[in-house]
Amino acid sequence: MSMNVALRLFLLVGAFAVFAMVIRKIRKSEMQSGDSVFWLVFAGSFVVLAIFPQVAFALSDLLGFASPSNFIFICAIALLLIKLFTLSAEVARLRQKLVALTQEIALREKR
Amino acid sequence: MKTLAIIPAYNEEESIVATVEELKAVASAVDYVVVNDGSRDATLARCREKGYNVLNLPVNVGLTAGFQAGMKYALEHGYDYAVQFDADGQHRPEYLEALVAEAEKSGADIVIGSRFVTEKKPVSARMTGSALISGIVKATTGKKINDPTSGMRLYNRSMIKRYAYESDFGPEPDTVAYLVRQGAKVSEVQVSMRDREAGESYLSFSKSISYMARTCLSILFLQWFR
Repeated sequence: MSMNVALRLFLLVGAFAVFAMVIRKIRKSEMQSGDSVFWLVFAGSFVVLAIFPQVAFALSDLLGFASPSNFIFICAIALLLIKLFTLSAEVARLRQKLVALTQEIALREKR
Repeated sequence: MKTLAIIPAYNEEESIVATVEELKAVASAVDYVVVNDGSRDATLARCREKGYNVLNLPVNVGLTAGFQAGMKYALEHGYDYAVQFDADGQHRPEYLEALVAEAEKSGADIVIGSRFVTEKKPVSARMTGSALISGIVKATTGKKINDPTSGMRLYNRSMIKRYAYESDFGPEPDTVAYLVRQGAKVSEVQVSMRDREAGESYLSFSKSISYMARTCLSILFLQWFR
């Protein structure tokens, strides 16, 4: 039982690329540690799947996927969509704060 | 009755002086505030030169937030009525008195300066959009609003409070429809408007399409969850 070697290598390379980028951002203080958790867990799960493909086989068999790579793709897409959705909500919240601050600056001149 | 004309201005250096001068000359009973929404041209400089009352937003935040800043100003300074007044010269100040009179007489929360109360809607692409919005407002609220896209709307004190406090409350037809559903009383007064004197129209073709999509979606769907 073995998953496509190319996919396993790709997962490993991808995971290390993500680790490298996150560490670089944290060094430059462009990302806070709380925000890095998602990416580190994301990359960590790639490593687990690359080293222990049995995990992907077991789960995709259990859920009835035709192949473990399909299962991995759908998980990655789902996680990214969730991330995108929460980011969109976060941007809306930030925009509201920016607007409130901008209005406050203008109104203070008038008090 | 203290009435405030809120004049949102984004890059309106060519028309802002004429607009404010006309407003001051024709409707001297109405106070005004120019909301400079982070203009990159000389809008602020023109206003300062002339000593106009300006609320200066340091960055561009868009019409909704700019108008809301005006409403916060109206609330803080104890105005009974606030009316949106375009900086580009489309709105005629001689009608402001009639809007206030209608609000006083009818007790309406919102009085719309409408182009189509006694006048008929002309046939054009833009008016088809206007008719469509009228139709869905009527269908969802039961209230017939002849000119839902008119920007010339007068709000009373209770509406000023709501606009000042709530987010995502644009001076747009979907907000008016939402307020009607919440029990606000809307009245319309016949006015005439000018074509734009300067600058480019806010609504280009692609913007018109996305405006219509957003407005219709908001009235038909999103506002039931607000």
